[in-house]
Amino acid sequence: MHKIFVIATREYLAAVRTKAFFITLIIMPVLMSGSALIQWLLSDYHDTKIKKFAIVDRTPGARLYPVIEKTVQAYNEKTIDPAAGKAVLPHFDLEQVAPSANTAAALAEQRLELSERVRTGELFGFLDIEAKVLETSTGETHAQMQGIRYQSNRTTNLDFPRLIEKPLLHAIQDMRMEEMHLQVPREKIRAAMRPTPVEVMGLTSRNPVTGAIEDGALRSRIAPIVVPIGFLMLMFVVVMMTATPLMQGVVEEKMQRIAEVLLGSVRPFDLMLGKLLGMTAVSLTITTVYLGGAYGAARQYGFAEYIPSNLLAWFVVFQALAALMYGSLFIAVGAACTDMKETQNLLWPVMLLAMLPLFLMGSVLQEPNSTVAVGLSFFPFATPMLMILRQSVPPGVPTWQPMLGVGLVVLTTLLCVWAAGRIFRVGILLQGKGAKLSEMLRWIIHP
Amino acid sequence: MFAVVIEDVTKTFRQHVAVDHLTLQVPRGSIYGFIGPNGSGKTTTLRMIMRIFYPDRGVIRVLDEPVDSAPNKRSILDRVAYLPEERGLYKQMKVREVLRFYAALKGFRRSGPDIDGWLKRMDLRAWADQKVQTLSKGMAQKVQFIATVIARPELILLDEPFSGLDPVNTEVLREAILELRRRGATIVFSTHDMSVAEELCDFLCMIYKGRKVLDGTLESIQDAYGEDTLRVQVEGSATWDNLPGVAKVTDFGRYKELRLAPQADTQVILAHLMQRGRVRHFEISRPTLHDIFVRIARPEVDAHA
Repeated sequence: MHKIFVIATREYLAAVRTKAFFITLIIMPVLMSGSALIQWLLSDYHDTKIKKFAIVDRTPGARLYPVIEKTVQAYNEKTIDPAAGKAVLPHFDLEQVAPSANTAAALAEQRLELSERVRTGELFGFLDIEAKVLETSTGETHAQMQGIRYQSNRTTNLDFPRLIEKPLLHAIQDMRMEEMHLQVPREKIRAAMRPTPVEVMGLTSRNPVTGAIEDGALRSRIAPIVVPIGFLMLMFVVVMMTATPLMQGVVEEKMQRIAEVLLGSVRPFDLMLGKLLGMTAVSLTITTVYLGGAYGAARQYGFAEYIPSNLLAWFVVFQALAALMYGSLFIAVGAACTDMKETQNLLWPVMLLAMLPLFLMGSVLQEPNSTVAVGLSFFPFATPMLMILRQSVPPGVPTWQPMLGVGLVVLTTLLCVWAAGRIFRVGILLQGKGAKLSEMLRWIIHP
Repeated sequence: MFAVVIEDVTKTFRQHVAVDHLTLQVPRGSIYGFIGPNGSGKTTTLRMIMRIFYPDRGVIRVLDEPVDSAPNKRSILDRVAYLPEERGLYKQMKVREVLRFYAALKGFRRSGPDIDGWLKRMDLRAWADQKVQTLSKGMAQKVQFIATVIARPELILLDEPFSGLDPVNTEVLREAILELRRRGATIVFSTHDMSVAEELCDFLCMIYKGRKVLDGTLESIQDAYGEDTLRVQVEGSATWDNLPGVAKVTDFGRYKELRLAPQADTQVILAHLMQRGRVRHFEISRPTLHDIFVRIARPEVDAHA
């Protein structure tokens, strides 16, 4: 026991005391949130080059063009920051194009012509308002009803269609109502047509102290998804961050011939177990830092209710088990190889197991209590990540499920550690050429 | 009282028999040398004593405990130290940290004074707080030796401890081994440097192709071969073939070593040599360990000589 502790302490200090450890500890969340951060920083940035759009208004009398023109005019006034006199948004230029004859061939011809002008870069895009958009007959199917199309080769930038969509819709609705000679004032129709979104809220509960009934809080649609995904990703990242150096360490000890020196003092199994426990301690250290940081941030911004403390406890339990389970597999791979390159060939089955929860994440998140999701979360190699994912989606799972999950994972972990120990014993002195998967299996059966 | 007892031990790897029915005893408090060419089974035997490998057949008893027992008192591993032939140290650790780590691994906690003592003896005190990766090869080898013996083991196994050392460090290490024996430790080491083995070892055991071919003190081994060697210096370019009663001639440059055939008469040989040139030196002696080693390890060459 004492020797295992000595090995574990050395492994832990060797991992934690390096500069690389601190750098990774800081870089990791930056990388994870980096893309979101960059998008947020860039959201205020706009290309301020003038963009030109062609408008073909095929409605009788081209009555919609003035609406667009007015909207764009109002927008263009806001594109220049009056204080700095500098453009902050792109100026939109409009060009009204006379509609072609209303035959299929002529329409196609004109659209091709305009498309060519977009391709040369002269235009950014063009808007084609079809002739019958103002008609009010209800006999036609959706496909036959003509509408408005916006054509461009840069359809990711939808600033222009978004700008004009709403004013255009209101104008069209007004014109249709006019044509139908409705006796009801437009305001009343607008009021009747007011959109009513469905709001997602938590449950109403009775305050145990005051006895008053408290309304459920308005639920963010994002937070209940961010928390489970965050948990799953954190567990995956921490396992990878610690298991990979562990494997590298084993290979290095073999390459630098440290392993046999150690075997003069420790039994192979104790050596492996010491390494495994050291790595688990490292992973729990990282977990504490990240989870503590995340929980602090969540409290700060009022999201703490999505991270109940018993969930944190379960996470730590599953994280420790995942570290032991995957750590033992990584150690076995390291012991069977004689250099880092060889590990690539043997690592893929382990990586496949480790990444399984990532592949299943989406469907489990959607239906966390479906038979398939429950069954998958009892597959021991996926249990730590999938169970915590299911637990963190409201309303959670019955307590027996994580209990049983922990039981199965503990059994699997013991099996993995035992098998890895057999592989480690043979592999650690192996020099020259790495082992194949079949050889590793044979070592487990006949050490 | 024996520190190591090996009884009829066989170890096979796949088809290859590494150690074949080996039996030997290492007396306590002795310096015991394992000699033999590369691949003869020395390292496998040492690893079996260390329980890194288990014998297929036979029994190994270390410090009076059979290897496969599960001792509940102080583990056998804590009383035995092992320096493998291929050895490395954690490069990122400082010298003192490494030594403290290896002492702790053997359950020796208050290792500070011992570490200082050894660093001083090995002339490494200035390097105590340097990282291992800054050490030269010879220095690293000395640190490895200290790491092996730091926990005051009763039995010390050294696999080729002198390989790659310069004469000065060889001398330092030789002194250290003698000092450890004075303190009561038993030392077993393997080597293919015959002069070191001749100088240091109380007992010698030669393993060849997994089998024991020699065992005993240097004197008893040499006695077994008898006085069958002539050292001769003859002036001029005398011819050395067709000497009656000479089985083999080895040229050492300044002098020739002649191995006598059974029942050869040295007087007859001297007479022949005197006819061929002026004899400056003529000595009847026992074969050196080197000579015995080569005779056993290269029988096919001898057959054609």
